[in-house]
Amino acid sequence: MALSRRTGRSRLTIALLVITSITVLTLDFRDSAVVSGARDVAARVFSPLRGVAETATDPIANAWNGITGYDDLERENEELRAIIDEMRGERVRDADAAEQLAGLLDQLDIEWVGDIPTATARVIAGPGSNFSRSIEIDKGSDHGLKVGMPVVNGAGLVGKLVQVTERRAHVMLITDPDFAVGVRLVDSGVTGTAAGTGEGKPLVVDTGLEAGTEVKEGTPITTSGSDRSAFPGFIPVGTVVDTRAGSGGLTVELVVEPLVDTSRLAFLTVLLWEPAR
Amino acid sequence: MTPAGPLVIAARTSLLLVVALTFQLSVAARVEVFGVQGDVMMLIAAMAGLAAGPDRGAVVAFATGIAFDLMLQSPFGLSALVYVIVAYVVGSLQDTVLRAAWWIPSATAAIGSVFGVILYGVVGTIVGRQLLDPMLLRIAAIVAVLNALAAPLVLPAVRWATDTRDSVRARAIMR
Repeated sequence: MALSRRTGRSRLTIALLVITSITVLTLDFRDSAVVSGARDVAARVFSPLRGVAETATDPIANAWNGITGYDDLERENEELRAIIDEMRGERVRDADAAEQLAGLLDQLDIEWVGDIPTATARVIAGPGSNFSRSIEIDKGSDHGLKVGMPVVNGAGLVGKLVQVTERRAHVMLITDPDFAVGVRLVDSGVTGTAAGTGEGKPLVVDTGLEAGTEVKEGTPITTSGSDRSAFPGFIPVGTVVDTRAGSGGLTVELVVEPLVDTSRLAFLTVLLWEPAR
Repeated sequence: MTPAGPLVIAARTSLLLVVALTFQLSVAARVEVFGVQGDVMMLIAAMAGLAAGPDRGAVVAFATGIAFDLMLQSPFGLSALVYVIVAYVVGSLQDTVLRAAWWIPSATAAIGSVFGVILYGVVGTIVGRQLLDPMLLRIAAIVAVLNALAAPLVLPAVRWATDTRDSVRARAIMR
């Protein structure tokens, strides 16, 4: 008797808790201000504590990563040296091309990424769990950062800011399934929408191109920067690695390898740019 | 010893969650094992079910999940939902266990973690996160091993927070 009453009560408890969880999940999907407000408050309250804990545990984390990643680092170092040599040459050529492009865009009164003020930030924390894809950087609203601003590094588009507190900000990565950006194929000028499909996986670009249209492998794509776009134009995004039939088979879908390796980010640049309203 | 009141338990649980969350975000998140992070929050949920039973365990697990969800950018409420179910299942199974063997906390932590990680993948995929891939199995396996190792340390903390002594032994004596 006592046992069955207890079982009944715990079923009621679990039912209530499950319903509450599903309700907040639903709220979050509707982009409720309550949820983002609560997250902001939690991040703000927790931030000093985390700062202290991170400083205190830095030696442990560094030692562990040094031990487990030493071989990788050595090999990577050699590869990077080779790449740097190659890039030194390219930089000279690129600088010349950029100069010419900036001049032309200026004449046409088009905004150029190189003119946008930026803030450089250090990645202070990767995803807090195995399933979360956002990362945290050490700059916040004190440095002029705002939600929605694009984040890049030397290779190209990394993501955008989704949460900003005084001294920290969360970056949603380009590979996140919730991430979408207007893009343009560099050679043909065809525009489309690129969306993330998950960490370590390529982006998928829905172009609206008719089925059967040939798109060359290796074609670079950049942000489109069209009117009302959430990103300025000409930020490198990735290169086309495959084409396949889109849903319904009427259009072509492009599989795009992002230029940025989102699993290894150390320093990022936030473009202090907001879309025109 | 007199049992702690609800306010004391709430305060102790909050303290436990703050410490666990700090550890998760500052240490576990930065110290990866074969590319996988430890998951202390999942461990707390499983140990809450073991220590406090399906009823109170699920409440502690819910608080743990909500606290974790607040700090992440993943769907809000997803961890809470998964942890509640993990704690309830662990708590219900614990009710049927009469022996208090030394390996029970570790075994519970391992099984609870595998179940929890896979459940997270399934529910996450239902809400549009595409988490069902081979990586999920690797996460489940590594989190299970790490949590099995950490369980003997975490269980006493959860027992202290929820003011539950070794409940298996206590019930055995009562019967």
